[in-house]
Amino acid sequence: MILRQRRNAGFERRGDRVEICLSDDERELVADLAEQFRSVLAADRDPDLRRLYPTAYPDDTDRNDDYTVLVHDDLVTARLAAIDSVLATTGNQSIDTGELESWMDMFSGLRLLVGTRLDVCEDDVFDPEDADAPSRALLAWLGYLLEEAVGVAGEFLPVDRSDL
Amino acid sequence: MTPGTAPSEVDRPESQEGADLDHPWAVLVWNDPINLMSYVSFVFQKLFGYSRERADSLMLDVHHKGRAVVSSGAREKAEMDVFRLHGYGLWATMQQDNP
Repeated sequence: MILRQRRNAGFERRGDRVEICLSDDERELVADLAEQFRSVLAADRDPDLRRLYPTAYPDDTDRNDDYTVLVHDDLVTARLAAIDSVLATTGNQSIDTGELESWMDMFSGLRLLVGTRLDVCEDDVFDPEDADAPSRALLAWLGYLLEEAVGVAGEFLPVDRSDL
Repeated sequence: MTPGTAPSEVDRPESQEGADLDHPWAVLVWNDPINLMSYVSFVFQKLFGYSRERADSLMLDVHHKGRAVVSSGAREKAEMDVFRLHGYGLWATMQQDNP
C-alpha cells in the first residue's frame, strides 16, 4: 500500500527555493515511478497515453494530423526532460521553482496515465477491497503531492498581474 | 460558455492579423476527471498571466459547465495556446468562432 504519512507538507517554500519534505521511502517511490513513467513515455506505444496528447482540432482531421506531426515529439521530449529533472533531484534537500514544475509535470502526467488506465470518474468512491485499489491509492497519493506542489508554486507567481 | 462572454471578448484585439480577422479562434479547455482543480487554475495563471480570481473562475466554469473559453485570437496564436496547454496535460481544443 502507498505511504500516506501526513506528518509534513511534501513541499515547503524556503526563501527562493523549495524544500522537499519527503521520507527516504517516499523519495525512492517517486524515483521508481519516474523511471517507469519514463520507459512508457519513451516507448510511446501505450494507448493509455492518449490523454497526454489531446486532439487540437476535433472537427478537422487533416488539420489535427498536421498539428500532431508538428508537436508530438516536442511534447514527448518536454515530458522526458521533466522526468530527468525529477530523477536528478529526488535526493535533494531543496529544489528551485523550475525543478518544482518538473516534479509537478511528472505528477500530473503520471496521473493522466494511471487515471486513464483506471478509467476514473469524478464521483468514484474508493473501495479498498477492489482489485485496482493499489492503483487508485497511487493516484490519490500523486494527487496529494501535486496539490501540495501547486500550493507552493502558486506562492512564486507574480503578484502584479493584471487581467487584460 | 458562449461567445461574447468576457474571456473571448477581451482577447479579440489580438486577432487583428491574417486571414482569420473576422472569425477568431477560441481555445477551449474541457472538464476531465483526472486533473486537479488547483492545478488547472495554476496553469491558467502561469500560461496566461490571469489573476488567481480569474483563473479560479475559468477553472470552475470548466468544472461545472464542462468547458470554458480560456483565450482566443488568430489561428497561430490559438494553436500555440493549445500546444502549451497540452504541454501541461490539459484537455484543450480550438474552434473558429461562428460568424
